Amino acid sequence: MTEWIAIVGSGLATYLTRSLPLLVTLRPGARLRGYLDDLPIAVIAALAGAGVLAPEQRLAVGPEIAAAAVVILVARWRRNLLLAVLAGIAVVALVRALA
Amino acid sequence: MLITPFLVGVPFGILARETGLDALQTSGMSVIMFAGASQFVALELFRSGATPVVVIATTLLINLRHLLMAASMRPHFGDRPLPTRLGLAYLLTDEAFAMGSSWYRRGGRGLAYYLTFAASMWVLWNLGTIVGVLAGPAVPDPRVVGLDFAITATFIAIVVLGIRGRRDVVIALVAAVAAGLLRGMGLAVVAVVVAGALAPLVAHLFLRGEEPTPGLPTEVPG
Repeated sequence: MTEWIAIVGSGLATYLTRSLPLLVTLRPGARLRGYLDDLPIAVIAALAGAGVLAPEQRLAVGPEIAAAAVVILVARWRRNLLLAVLAGIAVVALVRALA
Repeated sequence: MLITPFLVGVPFGILARETGLDALQTSGMSVIMFAGASQFVALELFRSGATPVVVIATTLLINLRHLLMAASMRPHFGDRPLPTRLGLAYLLTDEAFAMGSSWYRRGGRGLAYYLTFAASMWVLWNLGTIVGVLAGPAVPDPRVVGLDFAITATFIAIVVLGIRGRRDVVIALVAAVAAGLLRGMGLAVVAVVVAGALAPLVAHLFLRGEEPTPGLPTEVPG
């Protein structure tokens, strides 16, 4: 039973964070619009940085750093998301296989 | 990208059963929470005997980042009726946000792209969970073939492909390094929301007067 309380409560907490900003009818001014416009790249980069620099919840120099560099290079070079991701996965797999 | 929620859902299902949740609770968690990272954290808390209050509070902290995502998606969702917006909110994951917002940044309009992607994520995440519950630990470890890096790699590529100018580079670097450091210092639960919220402000301080790259679609509500 405690598990269900935790699960449903966590579901409500999650939904609250996803829905709250959508409840308001927003007419943002120029400053806020600029900020909201900058948010996607900031939040996605933050997700990426956390995964690269601290993959196991602590700072570590692992295959993720080399793989991230490869993803950046391939993405810039070919402008192709799937190709960049596959290259990154390959680097991680390769480094782990050699280590 | 589309296959990753399935590939992460399977180990979640396995781990949840190993943690002692029954099949219904495990699947229920994926349906009710639909939040990959915090579901794994919740399992860890269950394992250490945490009370529901601790689990719920931790989930709330981890998912505060969705406030930022929802706020930035708000103008694109336009003046849809409230129930529609509430439905869209339920599907707002990191991945749906990453793909959806970059679609809008490229000048995309409407809900079809976001909805298709977000709903597919939902189906695959829940399907993966069920497969994990049924298959048990017979499934090979995705780490061996580097698949645990797929989501991070996708985020990196989305950022690189979305860079419009120097300002975006500064924002992305500040956010990535700050989030990595915060997470590495043991502040994993708030790393992304703090780094994501502050990076645009830091960039604003250092690039004072430099406007977002002109000539690109600016978002207008409605």
